[in-house]
Amino acid sequence: MKPRRRSILSMLDDSVRWTGMPARVAEQMTDDPDRKRRPLRWTPILPIAFSCALLIVSLAWPPMVDGMGMGVITGVGVAFWGAIFGMMPGIHANGPLGKSSLEDDEREAALRKDSFVCCLGVLAALNCLGQPLLIVLSHWQDWPFAQVVSVVTTAFMLNAALLGCLPTLYASWNLGHLPKE
Amino acid sequence: MFRAERGISRRELAEAVGVNNQTIGYLERGDYKPSLELALKIARHFGVAVEMLFSLERFEPIAMTLMRTGDDQ
Repeated sequence: MKPRRRSILSMLDDSVRWTGMPARVAEQMTDDPDRKRRPLRWTPILPIAFSCALLIVSLAWPPMVDGMGMGVITGVGVAFWGAIFGMMPGIHANGPLGKSSLEDDEREAALRKDSFVCCLGVLAALNCLGQPLLIVLSHWQDWPFAQVVSVVTTAFMLNAALLGCLPTLYASWNLGHLPKE
Repeated sequence: MFRAERGISRRELAEAVGVNNQTIGYLERGDYKPSLELALKIARHFGVAVEMLFSLERFEPIAMTLMRTGDDQ
């Protein structure tokens, strides 16, 4: 029998499964009291570092931004936000497994709340300092319009990366190792 | 200690009081302070007063308690 040709969508599904994330989400969403919140101590640093690097490039080397063209920045931004909006219906509307929320107990709920409070505090402080600083810099150095757009876009991406990743980082580093019974 | 003495697993206790079994682990290690509701549920599960399980002061090590009991006898 001739093997059926696999569609691009099924190959994309396989590639997503290969990352291990669907299994991890299923594990997180289960009602089983044995479920474990496995810490992610290093992975969330990657998007934050990537966003920081983009912001630094657009601040420090404006000719590079001009040279690369706005297309690159716009492309990265569109890909990033496309991915976020693509995930939203799955995560927020019905939940990945048709559930509207995680089954948190009181310790998990308290840790989740602390993580978001800490993250929002950091974001507020960064934005309170960063926004006036960027406005002053843009007037002082007489930035061209392309640079203003690239800085605004990359700052927005950094905010989104921090909002998405800081709570996970906080919670992961606050979850101590628990030996097996 | 109390749980081990009664031969109850983390999972059984977690199911009985409606929390994740990691929460029982963190509770026993002193890394998490339970709500009054959870403390009362655990005490009720073991059929003891809540003060037997939770205290504002650190509990005395078992070795010390045994030594003291031996001296009294």
